[in-house]
Amino acid sequence: MTMFSLVVKNLLTRRARSILTASAVAIGVMTVVALGVLTFSLRETAISILRTGKADFTVAQEGVSDLLYSALDVGDLQRISAHPEVESAIGVLVATVDLDDEHPLFLELGLEPEGLEEFGVRVVDGRRYAADAENEVMLGYRIAADLDKGVGDSIDIDDSAFEVVGLFATGQVFGDSAAMMPLRPLQARERKPGALTLAFVRVDPSADIESLRTAIEDESPQLATVRTESDFGRVDRNLALLNAANFGGSILALLIGAVGVMNTTLLSFFERTREFGVLRAIGWSRRRLLVLVVGEALIVSLFGAGAGVGLGFAAVAFLERLPDLLGVFRPEFTSAVFGRALGFAFGMTFLGALYPALRAVRLLPIEAVRHE
Amino acid sequence: MSDLAQPMIEVFDVAKDYDHGTIRALDGVSLTVDRGEFVAVTGRSGCGKSTLLHLLAALDRPSRGRIVVDGRDLVQRGDLDEFRRREIGLVFQLHHLLAHLDATENLEVAMMGTHRRRAEKRVRALELLDAVDLGARATMRPPRLSGGERQRLAIARALVNEPGILLADEPTGALDTRSIDSVLALFRRIRDERGTTIVLVTHDPTVSAATDRIVEMRDGRIVDRGVSTA
Ligand SMILES: Nc1ncnc2c1ncn2[C@@H]1O[C@H](COP(=O)(O)OP(=O)(O)O)[C@@H](O)[C@H]1O
Ligand SMILES: [Mg+2]
Repeated sequence: MTMFSLVVKNLLTRRARSILTASAVAIGVMTVVALGVLTFSLRETAISILRTGKADFTVAQEGVSDLLYSALDVGDLQRISAHPEVESAIGVLVATVDLDDEHPLFLELGLEPEGLEEFGVRVVDGRRYAADAENEVMLGYRIAADLDKGVGDSIDIDDSAFEVVGLFATGQVFGDSAAMMPLRPLQARERKPGALTLAFVRVDPSADIESLRTAIEDESPQLATVRTESDFGRVDRNLALLNAANFGGSILALLIGAVGVMNTTLLSFFERTREFGVLRAIGWSRRRLLVLVVGEALIVSLFGAGAGVGLGFAAVAFLERLPDLLGVFRPEFTSAVFGRALGFAFGMTFLGALYPALRAVRLLPIEAVRHE
Repeated sequence: MSDLAQPMIEVFDVAKDYDHGTIRALDGVSLTVDRGEFVAVTGRSGCGKSTLLHLLAALDRPSRGRIVVDGRDLVQRGDLDEFRRREIGLVFQLHHLLAHLDATENLEVAMMGTHRRRAEKRVRALELLDAVDLGARATMRPPRLSGGERQRLAIARALVNEPGILLADEPTGALDTRSIDSVLALFRRIRDERGTTIVLVTHDPTVSAATDRIVEMRDGRIVDRGVSTA
């Protein structure tokens, strides 16, 4: 009989209780996985807009709820360009359009044809669109392959017919899955004359990017510069809220799981005072007893964590089918999410088993024997 | 290491108070038990028999006095887990076996923490089960054993790490007459075959009559140290 087989035997003897404990952990882990995948995936979708072009940083309106609501104007762009460290500042109007069921958030980027090169766009087939052509469009090579469109084909976007005049590559997955078209016709269609969503800024390599960002934000307080993902919350409050909800939800799940583990571990500790005392009386050390108590909690939690990951997958699959999230939410199961779930499972066990384990360590063997 | 001439257990003027001195369970107890002796401690309920046994087993500490086991003062030992695991075997009135483990496993649990290999532990457990006439019950759990069988299994568990001393608190208290006889026969055989020193607490005169010497207690004191009949 090894410690491990004893742990397993003890758990199987109290099967209903073990299952209940594992369930508490499973629900916690499921919540952590589902929230994690949801948050990560929505953030990826949201951030993708920033990854459509090449830039040292991006400028948007500060404090909007969604990056797509950011509004810049020509004056903003001119002030940014006027800084001597700025090599180029490309103004882009971003719109999303429901192309078809599989592409409910198709990105349209409006920008001047002269800006394309600085934006990191390489024409791989056909030609650029003309500055004022109202029905010319270029497709990223990925979306073109996806839609089976080539140069010379026609495509319906938002009930208007466009001609595909060229295919492009940006080196960015998100850019290569978008359409680009001249700025002014897009502004006109969107009824936002003169409006831009973002400015993609490239900086002289010898310049200090951070001090330039500070200078731009000081000069135009309504603007925010975004360089890293953590800056993103400043221009997309929804995402910041989502992150906060993920954090809060996960902590709650941790506590719920921990209380579940604590409840059952403590209950069985009280039930088993005699048993533990006898083990101490026949020569078990404190440490061995501690290993037993913690080992039981740990094995149960591992099972709970396994079940929780499975339930997490199921929950994500369910979320994916919600009409509100259809197409917006492309689940990405990153190892980080699973690592975190496992970490949370251990956290639940640790928090939940800590107190009962301390009680077990403090138990005097005489207490058990005296109960006679 | 142990000097054969030296007594196995020496108790020097031991007192034990409970509840901050309001209850004096033992009051100046001195006692010597020789190696291989089978001693009964008797007396009315509440006279302090269990308290004395618990002190001998290092389950509790005396309020005053010294207890020396196999030449070593218990109060000065830091390794009492080790002492309980290797040097003594404990048998309780209620067997205190683990109900969800079978007979063999109950013995193996008591061997955890000793440096025997797993296979060795199993062999040792089965040998002991044979020795207490439970060879045919190896895979049975305690609830399916009779009262006498359970107590014999508890005795086997106490012997599993080959202790020099067996301490038993009313081991026959919950048994019928026939089972009592078989358990007492087992104790005598253990003393004869292994030379184990046995201290057996009982308030039953027929049980104490089966031992070498009867120590009688009253109100926390030893009133008769007894004479060895062995
Ligand atoms: N933990 C304790 N707290 C207070 N009093 C105790 C405790 N254990 C034993 N006693 C008291 O000490 C005396 C001796 O008890 P015990 O050694 O159990 O007697 P016996 O085993 O001979 O029946 C009794 O009066 C009992 O009530
Ligand atoms: Mg008693």
